[in-house]
Amino acid sequence: MNTINLVLCGLGGQGILFMTKALSQAAIQKGYDVMGAETHGMAQRGGSVVSHLRLGDVQGSLVLPGSAQLVLALEENEGYKNLPFVAPAGRLFVNTSSPAFPNKKVKDYLDAKGIQCRGVPASSIAIAMGTPMSSNLALLGYFSASANDPFSHEDLRLVIQQISPDRLKEKNLMVFDAGFDRGMEEKKTLKA
Amino acid sequence: MERREILLGNGAIALGIVESGCQVVTAYPGTPSSEIIPEVVRFVKTGGFNTYVEWSTNEKVGLDTAFAASISGKRAACCMKQVGLNVAADSLMSCAYLGTVGGLVIISCDEPMPHSSATEQDTRSMAKFAKVPVLDPSTPQEAREMVGVAFSLSEEFRVPVILRPAVRVCHARQSITYGPMVEGGRKADFRKNPDRWAATPRFRLTLHAELNEKGIEIGKRFDRLSAHNFHDLKPGKQYPLGIIAGGVPYAVLRDILREEDRTDIPVLKLGAPYPFPESLTSDFLSACEKVLVVEETDAFIEYLIRDRHKVLGRLSGHIPREGELLPQVIHRKVSDVLSELGQQSLKEEESVMAMAVVKELGLPVRKPTLCPGCPHRAAFFAIRKALPKAIITSDIGCYTLGINMGAVDTILDMGAAITMAAGFYHSFEQDGVAQPIVSTIGDSTFFHSGTSGLLNAVYNGAKFILVIMDNLTTAMTGMQPTPALGIRADGSKGKAISLEKTVIGCGVEFMEVVDSYDLEKMNEVLKKASAYVNDPGGGIAVIIARHPCLIAYREKAIPEKKKVLITDDCVECNFCIEHFECPAIFQDQELGRTSINQQICSGCGVCLSVCPTGAIVEAA
Ligand code: SF4
Ligand code: SF4
Repeated sequence: MNTINLVLCGLGGQGILFMTKALSQAAIQKGYDVMGAETHGMAQRGGSVVSHLRLGDVQGSLVLPGSAQLVLALEENEGYKNLPFVAPAGRLFVNTSSPAFPNKKVKDYLDAKGIQCRGVPASSIAIAMGTPMSSNLALLGYFSASANDPFSHEDLRLVIQQISPDRLKEKNLMVFDAGFDRGMEEKKTLKA
Repeated sequence: MERREILLGNGAIALGIVESGCQVVTAYPGTPSSEIIPEVVRFVKTGGFNTYVEWSTNEKVGLDTAFAASISGKRAACCMKQVGLNVAADSLMSCAYLGTVGGLVIISCDEPMPHSSATEQDTRSMAKFAKVPVLDPSTPQEAREMVGVAFSLSEEFRVPVILRPAVRVCHARQSITYGPMVEGGRKADFRKNPDRWAATPRFRLTLHAELNEKGIEIGKRFDRLSAHNFHDLKPGKQYPLGIIAGGVPYAVLRDILREEDRTDIPVLKLGAPYPFPESLTSDFLSACEKVLVVEETDAFIEYLIRDRHKVLGRLSGHIPREGELLPQVIHRKVSDVLSELGQQSLKEEESVMAMAVVKELGLPVRKPTLCPGCPHRAAFFAIRKALPKAIITSDIGCYTLGINMGAVDTILDMGAAITMAAGFYHSFEQDGVAQPIVSTIGDSTFFHSGTSGLLNAVYNGAKFILVIMDNLTTAMTGMQPTPALGIRADGSKGKAISLEKTVIGCGVEFMEVVDSYDLEKMNEVLKKASAYVNDPGGGIAVIIARHPCLIAYREKAIPEKKKVLITDDCVECNFCIEHFECPAIFQDQELGRTSINQQICSGCGVCLSVCPTGAIVEAA
């Protein structure tokens, strides 16, 4: 089994740890060995926060730059900062509503490396659902629309259900579903 | 029944503690160690054990407590961050001499690239300083196993043992399988022996000799190939390059070499580096032309190798002397050494081009800041406004971030806000200068090591304003209770210690309690305090600025949310952004004006009295 490397990034307070938990939970349920690294402490007060997640037979918790098949970013600049982690032909999902995304220089790089990049209006989706702090769930939902092995939409949804605290369960699933719907729509238009 | 769970490294350590039948666990919170205690509590509760778990008021207190449990025959553990071990050093040095009965394990968590620490110090050096064994795990699973090994070693050799997981173990997550646990059922049995347990200097020499003897024996044990000290040399083979590594760098290195299938490079892993496994290391050295030592956070193994003519590492400049050894750093440095030796280097790094692209973007660095609505911000703002010329000494906690507001002039160590304020006072007073000084310290830090400094300052006649920023929690490290709350580590009720009475008990004669959100009142009290300090009969004026932390208390911290906005009266002076620094107030590039980000605004309403032109108002 080859190692699968993921990087999740954003700012302290955006719920990166929750996203990490959801993805690692989904992976362990698929029988993967999971190793990951989290940011705690000072940076959680609004600084840059990164989680690394590695599936397979590994001992180190950090991803070597250039080897992450998937990077999920909850903030545009943090997404750019973590660009070096994306492997050639990897995938990058960034929470942004900016029509200018991705930046021209970045785009050239992405094309050169065959990286698939999506700007996802996760914050807008979360705000529209009345839960501005849940862009993490919107992004996860969006990603689930085109998730590939070992993740699938159904598994991720189930995990959200399992790990959300009772008082947030319903809301969390709503935002996740809204993100998923948007992901499906765009998948269709991309195909069309 | 077996369970498979994704545990934080600190959870795996907690698992190791509970699995080992440890009966007394103490700790003071500090990144990256803080999650051990809550996880111990969780496992203990699941098992229905009567393990004693406490948040101690500081690390020395915690270690003394655990030591007493050990010499009562029970297994005991004490957890802290690396700089916490400095606080506990007095206890550590002495209990190494006295020895243990039940296993005593000290868990001291290191933080290379000090994200949340004062120094990058290496706990392994502290272990050597105290002459006690140290184990250095590479992964959460290994940390869990090593806790068990540490307890056995401690009991076999009657010496405290240190486990030093680094942040990438503590805050790694790993899927871990575990089964049912058994409670440690030993009964306290303290055998009086004053020659040992109350050893006077006369006996200390004997104890020192004993400790040295133990070190030699443990060194021999560490010299044997084991699950934690091993290499993959093939008998009789000579290698151009070998690598010695331990702890987190070993894990990184192992992955890189496997990924690139470099079986031509042998590795000696030293998970038990002290007492130093001399012969194991020299065997490895003899099989290699050159040996690179990859270790964190300091040169330790490298120093302990007596003949270093073959050795490359931090001392020779082949490995960076400071900072974290991230995978990319290790990858690059190993590759460089290989090419320097004329060997086939590692694969070209994939990320070099991307790094250049990102650099060119000139992205802003996101500094951590106090949360929107944080009561500390209000208190700092009031202090800066009332006493703009003051030297503001500060301390360790969320309020360290007051530095963004220009409201923090010094940070030294836990409790130094008070002791340094006294030092400043005496230095200026000696010259006849009345320098205003404001000391700011959090409630938890005050209980940790503020009181002794305050007693000293009062006793020696220092005069300054001390603002205790009481947010009713230990916020920075993840909301642990403080003694003032009377809630104990396991959630049970303890006795609440009154902050007010403690302050008065230190001999302070001026004390006022203010709601940190009330800028006006705070300003008034600061002025009053300043007058008291400057009065010939005055002394230290204590202001307790109290308001619950927003993260810990959520809605309860702001009973009445205010909707604030910025009117057209705003003259774009940037005053609020520069001096108040609430992350919710920002320069909206699209609208070209200062605005409030309603998504993250907490509705605390403190900014309403901040704007000099009165442009920040409450929505009708
Ligand atoms: S966590 Fe609490 S104390 Fe820390 S910055 Fe946020 S509001 Fe302030
Ligand atoms: S009310 Fe003002 S000070 Fe409070 S969080 Fe909102 S913008 Fe910041």
